[in-house]
Amino acid sequence: MAAHETTDDAGAPPTVPLEVRIGFAHASAQWVADHLALDVLHVKGAALDPTLVPGRGYSDADVLARPQDVEVLLEELRGHGWDLINSFAYGSSFEHSATLRHRDFGLLDLHRIYPGAGPTPAAAFDALWQERRTTVLGGVRCAVPSRDAQAVLLLLHAARGGGDPKGLHDIESVWTSAPDDQRARIVEWVERLDAGLGFSVITGTLDEHRDDPAYDLWRVASRGGTRWDEWRARVRAARGVRASAAVAARSVLVNVEHLTLVRGRPVTRREVVAEFFDRPARGLREALGRRSGAGR
Amino acid sequence: MTAAFRVPTDVGVTVGADGRTVYVASLPAGPLVVLEGAAAVIWTEATAGPADGWLGRVARAVGRPEADVSADAEAFVADLCARGLVRPV
Repeated sequence: MAAHETTDDAGAPPTVPLEVRIGFAHASAQWVADHLALDVLHVKGAALDPTLVPGRGYSDADVLARPQDVEVLLEELRGHGWDLINSFAYGSSFEHSATLRHRDFGLLDLHRIYPGAGPTPAAAFDALWQERRTTVLGGVRCAVPSRDAQAVLLLLHAARGGGDPKGLHDIESVWTSAPDDQRARIVEWVERLDAGLGFSVITGTLDEHRDDPAYDLWRVASRGGTRWDEWRARVRAARGVRASAAVAARSVLVNVEHLTLVRGRPVTRREVVAEFFDRPARGLREALGRRSGAGR
Repeated sequence: MTAAFRVPTDVGVTVGADGRTVYVASLPAGPLVVLEGAAAVIWTEATAGPADGWLGRVARAVGRPEADVSADAEAFVADLCARGLVRPV
């Protein structure tokens, strides 16, 4: 008879498949949401309808919450063994998710926004919630978007993937080779989620949206760019002077959480200062490198 | 059909792809427990099969007389109860 705790220090822990750990990450997040009587939707990864992209791998759990619920969810998760390793402002250009890590369940991305879905984050959540389905993850019933809505979310994710092979495969499976009726349903969801800008990356029509404040964000995300390009796009996409100023200020601040993760220990004041000066310099080097490369 | 034990709502269960390993997690914070071999058989018969004759089914699954395995199986389930992973029905 063999029963092992994975966190038992006495003896070698048995191997637990990643997909099992991630399933429990979803289950843990659902337990916390239920405990707080809040709604969450489980997206991508283990929550993805397996018929959309058969055999698609994943490495973390993604959970979407209403924007106003995110802080309390985050706080509660941190009280149950989840460590915050990257907060919203520093997670990506879209500032959409916080990343947490649990010693048994692995990584969890808590989304307050699904990049590309709108017209507001709350409206996007409500539209997805209205047509939710349920699936069992880690032995717990979890709410997921409808299959067609999942297809749109996957395409929006691929759109900002910069042409990575996994994203290209997703586009091929979900859109390019999809039957006409599925494509028509996807287009309906694109309209419902006001997702035309992000979706234009998939259809190759992004440049028709040059006047959109978020155009540069999607251009850089889908085609690549320097750090300077990325921060400039963030400033342009931020709504209002105050938000723009906040983004601009962050562009020269140091992500202490990220540094802690990279170093594997609390960072020293000296390291924070060093990173503060190194980061803008890195952006400048990339910009100069690109300019000289373009001149060749 | 009622099983001899039930799994509380704050416990997540996943059966491995091999069908012979059971992963059990206390929610929301862990720990994660891995049940292999006879432990997985006991879990399955105690929580998913009918209550009547669950010890006999464990014995048949491991190829031993019921008298040989029942004490160990009951002790194991008592340990699961103590960890809050199952409850008597």
